[in-house]
Amino acid sequence: MSEALAIAAERVTIADFARVFRRIQGEVHKVIVGHEQAVEQLLSALFAGGHVLIEGVPGTGKTTLVKVLGLALNLSFNRIQFTVDLMPADITGTRVILSADGRREFSFQPGPIFAHLLLGDEINRATPKTQSALLEAMAELQVTVGGTTYPLAPPYFVMATLNPIEMEGTYPLPEAQLDRFLFKVQLGYPGEKELVRIVSSTTGPEQAGIEPVFAASEAAERIEELKRLVREVMVAPPIEQYAARMVRATQPDNVRILGNERSAIVVDAVNRYVSFGASPRGAQALILGAKVRAMLDARANIAYDDIDGVAAAALEHRLMLNYAAHSDNVGAGDIVEQVVKAVRAARE
Amino acid sequence: MAEASRDEQKLWLILFQIKAIRARLNSLAVQRGLFWTLALGIGAAAGIVGAALTLGPLSFLTIAIILGTAAILGSCIAARSAWQMRASPARAAAIADSRADLKGRLATVHSLAPTDHRSFLWPYLIEDTYGARESFEPSRVEPRWLSRSFWALLGAILLAVLLFEGALADRTRGVVVAGGGVAPGAVTADINNLDIRPADPSLSPNAEIYADPATLKRLQDRIAQQNAANGSLSKLVDKARSFADAIQNDIAGRPRDNQPPVQMRLTDKSGKPDDGSTGAQGKPPNANAQANAHSSGGGATKDNQGNGQNQTPPVGSAAPNSGLAANPGKPGSQNPADTQNGQPPDTSLADGEGQGSDHGSGSDPSSLFGEPSAQQLGADNFKIAIDAVPSTEASGPGSPGYLPPKVRAPINTTQYPDEPLARASIPEADQTTIKRVFER
Repeated sequence: MSEALAIAAERVTIADFARVFRRIQGEVHKVIVGHEQAVEQLLSALFAGGHVLIEGVPGTGKTTLVKVLGLALNLSFNRIQFTVDLMPADITGTRVILSADGRREFSFQPGPIFAHLLLGDEINRATPKTQSALLEAMAELQVTVGGTTYPLAPPYFVMATLNPIEMEGTYPLPEAQLDRFLFKVQLGYPGEKELVRIVSSTTGPEQAGIEPVFAASEAAERIEELKRLVREVMVAPPIEQYAARMVRATQPDNVRILGNERSAIVVDAVNRYVSFGASPRGAQALILGAKVRAMLDARANIAYDDIDGVAAAALEHRLMLNYAAHSDNVGAGDIVEQVVKAVRAARE
Repeated sequence: MAEASRDEQKLWLILFQIKAIRARLNSLAVQRGLFWTLALGIGAAAGIVGAALTLGPLSFLTIAIILGTAAILGSCIAARSAWQMRASPARAAAIADSRADLKGRLATVHSLAPTDHRSFLWPYLIEDTYGARESFEPSRVEPRWLSRSFWALLGAILLAVLLFEGALADRTRGVVVAGGGVAPGAVTADINNLDIRPADPSLSPNAEIYADPATLKRLQDRIAQQNAANGSLSKLVDKARSFADAIQNDIAGRPRDNQPPVQMRLTDKSGKPDDGSTGAQGKPPNANAQANAHSSGGGATKDNQGNGQNQTPPVGSAAPNSGLAANPGKPGSQNPADTQNGQPPDTSLADGEGQGSDHGSGSDPSSLFGEPSAQQLGADNFKIAIDAVPSTEASGPGSPGYLPPKVRAPINTTQYPDEPLARASIPEADQTTIKRVFER
């Protein structure tokens, strides 16, 4: 292929990415009213190759959103309702004894984790042991049961929902588990106009029909192509440094954790309210999320604004706040906002 | 291959424009540092010259130190600021990105151009950036080719020119600004009113003192006493004053050692009466060729010096080459109007030339009272300091009293004619008594 044709092909691909992205958004919004930013973050995480933690009060459409996404993408979809008595084997699958031709032998029965899209509903209601059953699948796209490793078919996208109220009898997610989610998406209550639209669209005789964006046979492959394209977006070293600096700024000035190397940017709120800051996965999330945003803007490079735009979703759930933050009613969102301001000011 | 070559050309053009932007930004940074440094230097120099022409020595020294320090500090800050403004190629690309709203395209192209780890989207990025090349032309990214700090330099030059013109105009009018005017070179002072302090030994005297031997002896005693009591701080202040005065003279173009001596007749009212008829000597007051007595460092040594100049010395300025300071304004001093000039009441001043009081002179008792003046009544005293050294040609007993000549100096441009004395409200009961006093 000549260079001109290659450029033309890339143009088409970059333009195609934005087109596909917007089309999926459109399909999702046929059912989901409002939550534009949440839907965009959800799709960004999908194309960046990460997983998403969705937090919202009951009735805000968390489960519906994930279901609709599965329909729009035309990928295999499973849902697990996490409860306190859910066991890891209920998720990963287990070996069962099957008898064939008079012989009985163990056979692996795959669990609901074996799907392209997995919805873990109210993940914080399961015990940490069960929650941890997702770790290997999320990080390495494989499941090990009884000493045998079973690969998961890409694309693999886990969407876990969290209910911030009714905390009694719940198990907060371990930090290691939280860190494996690329973004945390907040779903708030809809506004009045949106609520009217929700009521009118969900209480009538006709339900909105979701039209899959991809054919079932090519959906997985197309999504993987687009994910590879996202990885090709270029990042200038100063922007990588900017992302790294932002992650460092979320880490409190604690010699026990950081050693003697101090962060270049000190944010008072971080030192006061944060026990543990973002990990290197936070920087990866910033860059990957920014790459998707750049593609949506038809750019082959990341800008500083792209990093700023995904900072909240990529970093908030990685900050472990201390008791002072809870008593002062300071949230991770406030702290990330201050961090972004400080790092941006240092750049300018 | 041809496509790759075209890509390279486009890349080269993009990098060339980044270099041009960098050159322009660096040029502005250099201009900023240079112009501010020059502006501060010129402004401080102008300020120092202005202070030298208008202020007294110690004030001048203080202002000069402040201005000099500020100029040095300001220059350092300007240089540092210019250094921080300098643009590396990466910074130039980032600035162009920001100003042309290119969202990091230039920074990415610049940083990835030398590497081999390019994405397959690289040609797209080059094409995309090249398509926006008009938006990052150097003239668009930085329209200025002359730093705004040029105006600071221009302002400093204008200030300096204005000051120079002013000083030149003053000099051509023959007005000595420092010192505040021209005055006759003869005064009479009571030794009790003198504030005596030692002079800088390195300076030559610039005043002549005439007095009877007893007064001269008393003067020497006081000089010795003062010399012993003087601390190191006042000596330092004296040295600083002398130093500043010398610099002022250099800056203002005034000669250092050719000022005519002040003729001072010293009296001692507390000791034996000295009303001018005893102890005075008949030395012509303006015989400048006469020998001066030099009391160096408190008047312990005396040497004679000829001074053939015939210039009028500035009154009120510290005559830099003398060793004594007279302070006739102290309590108990005689009427300054008489003692300072050493003249009897000058009737010629009331002849309508506007240089003296024209009412309440005491010659007409009928004009003593009237409507009270609206102006505030204050203390009618003042202070004047002169530096002087005692002369060896002291007046002897029986010699005719020293009568200083009448000297009438014209009012210069910085002086104003005397204003009428303010009237006070006098009770009627007292008016008769006062009238009687004046009728006598």
